[in-house]
Amino acid sequence: MKKEKHQAILDEIWPRVKRKHLYPEIPMPKVGELGDSEEGAAGKDEGVGLEMKEKQMTVNSAFLSSLKGRIPEEQAIEALLDHGITHYTFCPWDFHTHVALYAEAKKVMGDKALAKRAANYFIDVVSDTHCVKKRFSDIPELHRSLKKGKVEEVIASLYQRIWGIDLGVSSSGKSGKGYEEAVRRLARIPYLDRSRWNESILKFCRTMKPLLLEEQQGEGSQGGKGESSPTGDHDFNNYSYEEIDEGMREYASEKMALSEFREMVEDFSEELKEAGYGMEGGMGRGRGTSIDADVLFYMKLAENYAIPLRKVLVEEKGTLHPHSHAPWEVGSPYQDVDIWTSFGKIMPGITQIWKKKEGKGRGRVEGTPDCLIAIDSSGSMINPRKSLSYAVLGAACASNAYLRNGSKVAVYNFSDAPMGGKDTLDYTDRREAIYRVLCKYFGGGTALDLDDLVPLIRSRKNLDLFVITDMKITNLEALISYFGQIENRVTAVHIGENPYAARFEKAVEKRSNINIFTVKRKEDIPNIILGKIREYFHSTHRGP
Amino acid sequence: MEAERNGYQKQIKAIYQFISEHLYFNRPDIEVKGEHYNSTILFSILTGLKKGKELIIGEPGLGKTTSAEFVCSLIYQIPLGVIWSSEVSGHPEQTEEKIVGRPDLGKLNRGEEDVVWTNFTQLPAKIVDEINRLPETKQSMILDGVDRGNWEYLNEMIVNEEYSLFATANYQDGGTNTMIAPLVDRFDVMVESRYPGANLAFMVGKGERKDQLLRHPKSERDFFRLLKSKIHYEKKLPKMDEISNGFGEYVHGTLGVKPLRREDRDQIRAEMGDLLMDLDASAFTRMLLAEFSFCERYGQKRSVETCEEGCHYTGYFCHEIKNCASNRLPFSIRQYAQALAWLLQDPEVDIEHVKSVVPYALGHRVQWKEEVLARKERSKRDDPFPIFLAKDAVRAISQRYREQSDHLKDALAAGSRIFQGEELEPLEGDHPLYQEIKKDLEGRRR
Amino acid sequence: MKNLPHQNKDLADPPSRNPRPIRNPFEEFKVYSFVKTDIPLDRIVESTEVVMDEIRRGYEKLLEEEAKELVWMVQYNTIIKAYEVAERYVKEIRYSAEDIEDFCFALEDTQRIPYLIPGPAGLYISALSNYAQEAEIVLKLSELKTEINLLGFRLPKGKRLIIEGDTGDFTGIGVEGGELVVEGNAKNWTGAGMRSGKILVKKNIGLHTGEWMMGGEIHVEGRVRGLGNIVEGKVFERDKLVYPGKARYPSLYY
Repeated sequence: MKKEKHQAILDEIWPRVKRKHLYPEIPMPKVGELGDSEEGAAGKDEGVGLEMKEKQMTVNSAFLSSLKGRIPEEQAIEALLDHGITHYTFCPWDFHTHVALYAEAKKVMGDKALAKRAANYFIDVVSDTHCVKKRFSDIPELHRSLKKGKVEEVIASLYQRIWGIDLGVSSSGKSGKGYEEAVRRLARIPYLDRSRWNESILKFCRTMKPLLLEEQQGEGSQGGKGESSPTGDHDFNNYSYEEIDEGMREYASEKMALSEFREMVEDFSEELKEAGYGMEGGMGRGRGTSIDADVLFYMKLAENYAIPLRKVLVEEKGTLHPHSHAPWEVGSPYQDVDIWTSFGKIMPGITQIWKKKEGKGRGRVEGTPDCLIAIDSSGSMINPRKSLSYAVLGAACASNAYLRNGSKVAVYNFSDAPMGGKDTLDYTDRREAIYRVLCKYFGGGTALDLDDLVPLIRSRKNLDLFVITDMKITNLEALISYFGQIENRVTAVHIGENPYAARFEKAVEKRSNINIFTVKRKEDIPNIILGKIREYFHSTHRGP
Repeated sequence: MEAERNGYQKQIKAIYQFISEHLYFNRPDIEVKGEHYNSTILFSILTGLKKGKELIIGEPGLGKTTSAEFVCSLIYQIPLGVIWSSEVSGHPEQTEEKIVGRPDLGKLNRGEEDVVWTNFTQLPAKIVDEINRLPETKQSMILDGVDRGNWEYLNEMIVNEEYSLFATANYQDGGTNTMIAPLVDRFDVMVESRYPGANLAFMVGKGERKDQLLRHPKSERDFFRLLKSKIHYEKKLPKMDEISNGFGEYVHGTLGVKPLRREDRDQIRAEMGDLLMDLDASAFTRMLLAEFSFCERYGQKRSVETCEEGCHYTGYFCHEIKNCASNRLPFSIRQYAQALAWLLQDPEVDIEHVKSVVPYALGHRVQWKEEVLARKERSKRDDPFPIFLAKDAVRAISQRYREQSDHLKDALAAGSRIFQGEELEPLEGDHPLYQEIKKDLEGRRR
Repeated sequence: MKNLPHQNKDLADPPSRNPRPIRNPFEEFKVYSFVKTDIPLDRIVESTEVVMDEIRRGYEKLLEEEAKELVWMVQYNTIIKAYEVAERYVKEIRYSAEDIEDFCFALEDTQRIPYLIPGPAGLYISALSNYAQEAEIVLKLSELKTEINLLGFRLPKGKRLIIEGDTGDFTGIGVEGGELVVEGNAKNWTGAGMRSGKILVKKNIGLHTGEWMMGGEIHVEGRVRGLGNIVEGKVFERDKLVYPGKARYPSLYY
């Protein structure tokens, strides 16, 4: 009964709330029963007021009932909706921002759970303050009605100071004089300046840390796992799989730091798996599979370097055929006149001629060649699992480009191959497997084993080769000799200038199917490789 | 007046309901103000009401043409048989004579010029099937004619006072004639006629033959006789209305749905035209247009110019596209947003109406950069790629609007006062619209 | 027939007559007036920024005067002089204890403050601390990547400066009766030349501790790497008096 009543109130106020927030793209909220709040329980256990799952907001009817007498239901519902919508429209807005805030919080808090909690509080303060300033919200009324623990009292004191609204929290209250300094510090933070959120959350966490530690210790001694915020928690349920995917890509691209990305993925591995996010889309993979954060990092980073799908070539057949009509003009030849459409008349304005066009059709569909990537993981190359390796990134971009066009990719990862420092992956379209082999690092000497390479090359009729190395290969002569014999398109990217690279260049300079790029800046590797692939995909003729 | 207004909206909604329940089975795919609609039927109805031009894309056999036929039949009170006879089918051998008109052969042999106009030119509902298969010259000819409402042949002309165009096309790919950008730009909106799902598709084959519902042999014969007759076109129009009204009464009597008469349509258009945009809708539209056309370095977006590395405006829409917004875009947005607001019985056009309409008005007009296409072409989506990209762009722009709406409106208000002669400085801001305001005011000062 | 109405040029209005008014493209916004809602947060943040700008300008002036070409050598006279210059600028600013901490972090943001030279920076922060209104100042510097030297210079009596995190060299030199607490490690030359007061280091301390110390006490709850030439005063290591204590040679690592 109460639920229906609450739903009716919500239906009535929703259009007004939506308009207030300039029509966010979220579905109509619902009223439901949430969490495990016990009715009539003493203390501050009112349960959670609002839940957001993939933008679907659900207002907790039991929570509303528990607030009876303290705040009118309509006000409470509107305040909860304001709060929930602002999480979507302002803070954190997207997964990337959420994760970035968490990462900054963790720098101060050190502990994953504390960092999440601190980030949640920060997000709430930002959202509520934004609502109060910009959206004429009843959120202050809601806060006045809520029961508060120590931390909530400090937050409420903070709200009093920065909103200039009395929320019924006195400075000599539970929080006491000791927290006045904390409130003073917290009040100086520019919560509404999005460009400074990273800096602001650090300051926020520095001040909140002792309070949160105290709270955590208190909960630990009581055997509790931590109270949810009455206005709802901020976990990854709020984001769809695509949003998480997009956010990971942006985060990888922004940070360009493997260790930070890895830390984030490891901290949130359970939540990511719950959200269905794993490797290879997560479909049917099950939650038992662990996420390889390093591989995921390169995957997401490489996605920022996409090139368009190869278009199917349209070839002209060379023969003309009648295609369409055009008006005949005096002085034009007669042989193309279409007697029927001209009604048997030869006169300007009536007579039509055939315009002929060359026949066009889809050219012989050759398909995109497969790709073999030979990547050097000797000691002179960067360990891709320790820091960002542009060589691996370039190889990842190449494999993405070929996979997206329906081709297969093989990988030959070599260090001192004759001594066993090598890994070979046969042609496959499994992206995860390819990335795993690319990310392997041997760190030994540099020697190719042609016995490994040759079968991979010979087994494919159409094949493009990419070799990424610093060219300090001990059996370079053998490689040069072999490359001199093959007709495949070879793109060699070598890092830095050295005599070996010069020797290689000289030896193959007459071969038009072999392109060598000397890279001075490692950051250029992905763009060089993609540029070459773009050329390959859009050329009408294959190599000699 | 209020009751009459409501009557028309109800009538249109009844037409929508009838089409979706009996004629064109498909799922709702757009939500506006809590109401769910199928975009194909909704935008087709709005196109018919607003004398617009709609491009319907989709896989073969998914009801692109039939949806347009049903809408035209009920909005214009024309029997389906007559509509079929007026359709232009897209193939390369189409001629002007089959599309516009031909000489009267008997008179031609006697040395006299007289034109026999096609049904396509005479009827207000114009449907072109697979327009992308027409040669460019013919596409241009049709679009020129619909733009101005004039059809010329052999020095004679007829003027359509009321018309709308529905063109269907397959997805553009190599191997068929593509529609070039200047032609595609002339369409107000683009929608997709989607696959309805296995269950609804199964229902399509069951039950009565849908195309018989809107047929009426007597009216059709009267129409054909009238259209073929040698009466002057202006004199045909009231007679066409008469036959249409008769058909309309038949449909109302047998099917329970009341099609629109000419005076109904005129009244609806007048009511729609009275609706004003609220300030947020206006500011948001201006913001979108600014992002679509702005270039700090080159003065405006041009498809032959590329963005500079490290441009300050990298985060805006202009950085993701190649071309500039045409002046038809704001017109289309305004028209359809007004129509939508009217249909939903809202007192003014607000930002939600605009946001609902923009992806369909924008999707076919944008030339995206390759890297944007490459990044997003594998994204999970329900819409066809151009509309998906447009919706994504609208979401991002709307987020930017939400953050600075007050300041933007303030800047526009200051612009108004400066324009009137007040000694004020234009407000500063990061968004391209602030620069546009300054440029307009500089032009005024000169 | 394509018969277009023929325009008689004689009847056309010349352009100068009846000019149409230019349409105001912003007309619909003329009724709009922005009602800015201010909350106390806006004022607080604004005043914080103003104060930070003043503090930053003072620091930049200090560098201009004392760190020519951004080079600054730690010597007795350079320290004294730089501190005097810092005092001069600091006295003109009204700030709070939290502003000092914010300034410490702003030093690491090269976009806001291009140059962090640890010596002058530490002296400037010391001047800020010494002239702050509050008797007790807490600087939470654990997340600071740089260890700032010369913090707590000439801390006067009645002042308590608590630093959360590690400090650099020359911490608490010349303390004049105040109480300096370092809740982390301190490096070399801590408490050098202090006259009176107390320095408490919760973790470890480096070499030359208390060099030329004239009085006061240094308490270290971790390890003391080495003592300096102490004139007078006391040094405690984990509550044990190490100076004056067993004969221990100054400047020796033990």
